[in-house]
Amino acid sequence: MMKKTAALFVGIGLLALLFAGSAMAKQKVVVYTSLENEEIVDYLNFAKKELPDLDIQAIRLSTGELGARMMAEKDNPQADCIWGWAVTNMAGFVPKKMLKPYKPTGWDKIPAHFKDPKGYWTAMDLYAAAFVINTKVIKAKNLPMPKGWKDLLNPAYKGLLIMPNPASSGTGFLQVASLLEMFDKQYKNKPVAQNKAWGFLDKLDKNMGQYIKSGSKPAKLTAAGEYAIGCSFAFVYSSLKKKGFPVVMVLPEEGAGYELEANALLAGAKHEAAAKKFLNWAISKSAMQRYAKFKLGVTYPGIPGPKDLPALSSIKLAPMDFPWQSKNRPKILEVWQQHFLK
Amino acid sequence: MPMDTPTAEPDAPETYAVPAGRLETDRFVIPAVTIFILLLLGFFMLFPLTSILRLSFFKGGHFALHNFTLINFHKYFTTSYTLNALWHSLYVSVATTLIVTVVIFFFAYALTRTTIPGKTFFRNLIMMPLVAPSIMQALALIYLFGRNGIVTAHLLHTNWNIYGPVGIIVSEVLYCLPHAFVILFTTLSAVDIRLDEAAESLGASPFKVFTRITLPSAKYGIFSAAALTFNLTITDFGNPVVIGGNYNVLATEIYAQVTNLYRFDLGATISIILLVPSLMAFMLNYYISRKTFSMISGAAKPVIPPSRPFKKSAFLSYCSLLSFSIIVVFATVIIGSFVKTWPYDWTLTLAHYHFPSIGGYSAIWTSLWIALVVGLGGAFITLVAGYVMETRRPFLKQPLYLLSVMPAAIPGLVMGLGYILAFNKPYYVFYGTPWIVVICVIISNFTLGILSNISSLRNIDPSIEEASISLGGDSLRTFFKIIFPLSKVAFFQNFLYFFMRSMTTISAVIFLVSASVHLAAIEIIMLDNDGWTASANAMCTCIIAIVLVMLGILHFVSKKIGRQTSSLVPVDA
Repeated sequence: MMKKTAALFVGIGLLALLFAGSAMAKQKVVVYTSLENEEIVDYLNFAKKELPDLDIQAIRLSTGELGARMMAEKDNPQADCIWGWAVTNMAGFVPKKMLKPYKPTGWDKIPAHFKDPKGYWTAMDLYAAAFVINTKVIKAKNLPMPKGWKDLLNPAYKGLLIMPNPASSGTGFLQVASLLEMFDKQYKNKPVAQNKAWGFLDKLDKNMGQYIKSGSKPAKLTAAGEYAIGCSFAFVYSSLKKKGFPVVMVLPEEGAGYELEANALLAGAKHEAAAKKFLNWAISKSAMQRYAKFKLGVTYPGIPGPKDLPALSSIKLAPMDFPWQSKNRPKILEVWQQHFLK
Repeated sequence: MPMDTPTAEPDAPETYAVPAGRLETDRFVIPAVTIFILLLLGFFMLFPLTSILRLSFFKGGHFALHNFTLINFHKYFTTSYTLNALWHSLYVSVATTLIVTVVIFFFAYALTRTTIPGKTFFRNLIMMPLVAPSIMQALALIYLFGRNGIVTAHLLHTNWNIYGPVGIIVSEVLYCLPHAFVILFTTLSAVDIRLDEAAESLGASPFKVFTRITLPSAKYGIFSAAALTFNLTITDFGNPVVIGGNYNVLATEIYAQVTNLYRFDLGATISIILLVPSLMAFMLNYYISRKTFSMISGAAKPVIPPSRPFKKSAFLSYCSLLSFSIIVVFATVIIGSFVKTWPYDWTLTLAHYHFPSIGGYSAIWTSLWIALVVGLGGAFITLVAGYVMETRRPFLKQPLYLLSVMPAAIPGLVMGLGYILAFNKPYYVFYGTPWIVVICVIISNFTLGILSNISSLRNIDPSIEEASISLGGDSLRTFFKIIFPLSKVAFFQNFLYFFMRSMTTISAVIFLVSASVHLAAIEIIMLDNDGWTASANAMCTCIIAIVLVMLGILHFVSKKIGRQTSSLVPVDA
């Protein structure tokens, strides 16, 4: 009887040891990211080969969740660097002194409009809003194919549309922001709440089946046949197409909203040297070529995007005003919630 | 169930000649252990709560009189969608409570008052939802009744779907069944069935017997089950976040405020608002459950008279139907994890078990290790806490008891938020390690652990402990040589309880996962969020499998040990 009790305590001791001693030899770096899980697994496998002396620990959270996490940890950062996070959110962190300027090796090769002049952040790729459409559902319900945002107001689509909640999803935010900027040329000179685009969004709301937390889920639920049209982004389309789902992609004819995903060094990083090594790798040509397997466009010049997506140069992009978006993000979200959350 | 064994004369040990050394240890050990547990609960429960209070009532979270503000509460009550979360929560919780109480009452009635066959089967099956994370019901319902669900879209061809309040209510009902069942089953098997017989033989109609005798005698159990269900539903996060659609409840709104808008102050404020109804339900439950046990008589174990054939078949089909729905939920999730594309392509595949996430299998192993530590640590510390409370000279018994039962009233999400607010400082070295998860899960589930230990300690004949003391054993030796071995079955039960909670908890730990600590239950939410529903099902299946294996091992072990020690335990619980 006592033997068993003793064994129990030895067990507890062993467990404690297991927690304490793991991965001592390598340099640890803690990475926060909002890239899609699917691509991260691919990139990280590659990074392990290219950076054998780093023990890369990463967590993937949605754009909003990741921001909240870093805000909460502001006084005691648990991560060393950010990898692939929306620039709109990133720019808000600069005045809060949460980022530390760092110009990674090869920084000069990245075009000026894809990086912060002081080196607070460096963008790695661009992703654009896109409609993912289930052809089976469209055929079964005899619906027309939409060309742009305005076509989505057609009452025939009632309840068959799905888009991300801009508060939790970066994709959702860039969609709303692009509409605010495209449908009201005077957006800069008036309060956010009076923007003409809200009228459009109110009408769109009548057709909307659901606002969902993540930006890729509208495409995935549409592919699964739950909705006819999912407002999502381009890369998730190509991965669904490869899996054999009956989907096609349409880029809104008014102009596709887009967002840059950037990397940055966190102020107060506990493993700064390792983080710098990782950030150097993250904008290297070989890493960028890897990103280009998934992303619509990468910031390293001269690397073509995936074959199953249209070339970036052929896409009509919305005029995105990142400084304005970043400054007005809280207000935009507040107005959005007042309109569409009941 | 606890039964009051006659207590020994309180000052009996004083008459023995005791070695002075023993008294010294005793005088030191019991207060020291009590203070240690008080500090533990104070630091890991009250301190995080004060951080939440501070952030909601004071500007910028800085505690000072001139900083006091109600602006957050004003904002909450004047913004329609945050205020609606409260109404939504109350609506969903009240509806779930009513349904669960009625449904499970008849189920428990069938198992205690009728002679239907297969009682053991039904009893085990109704407990099944405990082995899975609360998100499982929602995952299954979406596959069955979602927009592309097998029942709604492919059998009935309707456009109706389950997202929203209906979905939350149905999944919460399935989730709460076992919890409510335990209470009502205990109550109904304890109430003296001979009263019913007496009434019947005096000529009362079955309906009259039911309404005048059966229901009133079980009323405390019914209220207690209702209060518990209400509490579980209003604090649950997993089900509403998956199946709620745009229908927000308090728990999901806390998460949304913090993660989407970075409004930690509003998140803390909503936490306080969520704390009020759940605290009320808890206190009601606490008040009632004290009454329940005083009503139970020890003589209430007569043979159940054979039920009439009609009654028997009606209750049998009722129980079968309920069991069937639980089986369907489990089958949907498990089958859904093994088929290629639900519901189009039924080819069997293991593809969904290649988890498309950073966590993947390492999350399962981390969860398993953490659950083992939580199980051992939680079972041990609640046993010690129970012992110092039930010892013959308790020290600070009332404060210890109060702090021990408090965690049950604190929603997991509130606890987790409190932890990041309170402990994210460079000098709290455990922050960001698995230990913060271990501590959070143990503290969140402290109440049930200690209550079951107290009831099992009361079942140990005090004369055994007296004998140990009169033979010169001090508290430490008595504990390790007498109490611990005798409580082994209870210890294993508690280990299992903590283990299961640790494997399946979502709300308490969702704020605590980090780059180095990925947890399986949280991976389910993340996979589902990204649209990898089949992989979410696969992760859920892995958790269920691990818990069931542990259940099997412990069942085997405690059966073996139980046989050796049962002769020493005087009261058959």
